[in-house]
Amino acid sequence: MGRLSFYDEIARNKRSSILLAFSVSLILFALVYVFVSLLAPGLVIISLPISILLIALYIYGSYMYGDSVVLASVNARPAEGREYQYLRDTVEGLSIAAGIPPPRVYIIDSDEMNAFATGRDPEHASIAVTTGLMRELNRLELEGVIGHEISHIRNRDILFMTLVAVMVGLAAILSHIILRSFRYGGIRRRRGEREREGGIESLIILVGLVLAILAPIVTRLVQFAISRRREFLADASSAELTRYPEGLASALEKIMKKNRGRMEVSEAISHLFFVDPNRSPLDNLYATHPPIEERIRRLRAM
Amino acid sequence: MSWVVWLLAGISTVAILAFALVLVYYYNRIRVLSNRIEEAWAQIDVQLKKRYDLVPNLVETVKGYAKHEKELFERIAEARERMVRGGSREEQMKASNELTSALRSLFAIAEAYPTLRASENFKLLQEQLEGIENKIAYARQYYNSSVLEYNNTITTIPGKWFAAGRVKHPFLEIPEAERRPVKVEF
Repeated sequence: MGRLSFYDEIARNKRSSILLAFSVSLILFALVYVFVSLLAPGLVIISLPISILLIALYIYGSYMYGDSVVLASVNARPAEGREYQYLRDTVEGLSIAAGIPPPRVYIIDSDEMNAFATGRDPEHASIAVTTGLMRELNRLELEGVIGHEISHIRNRDILFMTLVAVMVGLAAILSHIILRSFRYGGIRRRRGEREREGGIESLIILVGLVLAILAPIVTRLVQFAISRRREFLADASSAELTRYPEGLASALEKIMKKNRGRMEVSEAISHLFFVDPNRSPLDNLYATHPPIEERIRRLRAM
Repeated sequence: MSWVVWLLAGISTVAILAFALVLVYYYNRIRVLSNRIEEAWAQIDVQLKKRYDLVPNLVETVKGYAKHEKELFERIAEARERMVRGGSREEQMKASNELTSALRSLFAIAEAYPTLRASENFKLLQEQLEGIENKIAYARQYYNSSVLEYNNTITTIPGKWFAAGRVKHPFLEIPEAERRPVKVEF
């Protein structure tokens, strides 16, 4: 049963990634169109092929370098030297058990306990772990957390989740720019210059406004929808790899007691993390992650 | 009359094509699964070799302090040789397990020598060997789950019909001390 479900998961993740890239392309294309029509209506026809090219480049860049962007945005550094030998061994051991090549290992300097995996496939994957996690967890607990991240890699969750992170990041920036230009009146002034197109322009402004408001909500919904099933499945697969669900359960318990949710990472990548990096585990409102109590309960029931 | 002939010809063509497709699918599937077992063994083998190379260093380091443990050193040397000498996989793993338990005794003896325990070289070797032992355990787990998948495929219908007399692969036995019960459900 276990194997079957993770093959399904791989297929599902590939499908979702393609669908995501496609819908993000469409949204971006619509945003560019609205933007150009507002600011320079004469350039619309020229802008179309250029924007298609740029969007294609953007999708390609997100696919190839999304993991580097994510790792750089949290200041992760390679786990080198003897003090991390034990961490590298644990990662390598669990990757052997999962039948994937050993991923690269990174360290994030933070007292909070957290971890994440990123990359596009098991051959190009990385795991990052906070110094707080290294310090607080014992061997069995650390194995549980690493097993969870290794499962994300094996199930190809990392591809979809990294694409969401990088693409959501851009959607957030774009809509932010549009909203700001309204706030500073830049568009209103231009509208004054072209009174006769007023009717169409207000429509376009309206569409732009709707998109700008919609973009973060849509991406938020995507984040919301993707996390829970994946997290529960990764917890279960971790237990299957380590043969010891209690290790992960006990790690989650420690995190619930000690984490304050103050890592202050970009909201666009928070769904990659093992537990929500920006919110205390006690704060269930607006959670992108499944409640920790529920995860512990399911692990203990195994 | 002739349409009956055509109908029969059509049905049998479709049936033969379908059979050929299923045959190719299962032939490849069984091959892939069997290759995965070989690959899993290669993972174990890599770790066994690494351990083979490390053990003499450890023994040399400890010998400087505990010369009189001749019997244990011999036990270690003998298991180490058997571990890579060949024979069946089960035999190699059995030797590896014996080496693991002999090394445990060695580390227990080292406890009695504070200067040995404090030496950087010894600490490094101990860490490395423990890391390798863990990896062997994980590699064996991957091996066994690959074997399980292979065995399931060639013993259940319809894989069984295409297995062409292939026999079940034996599992690598897990030492009693490492058995931890777990039940996983999705």
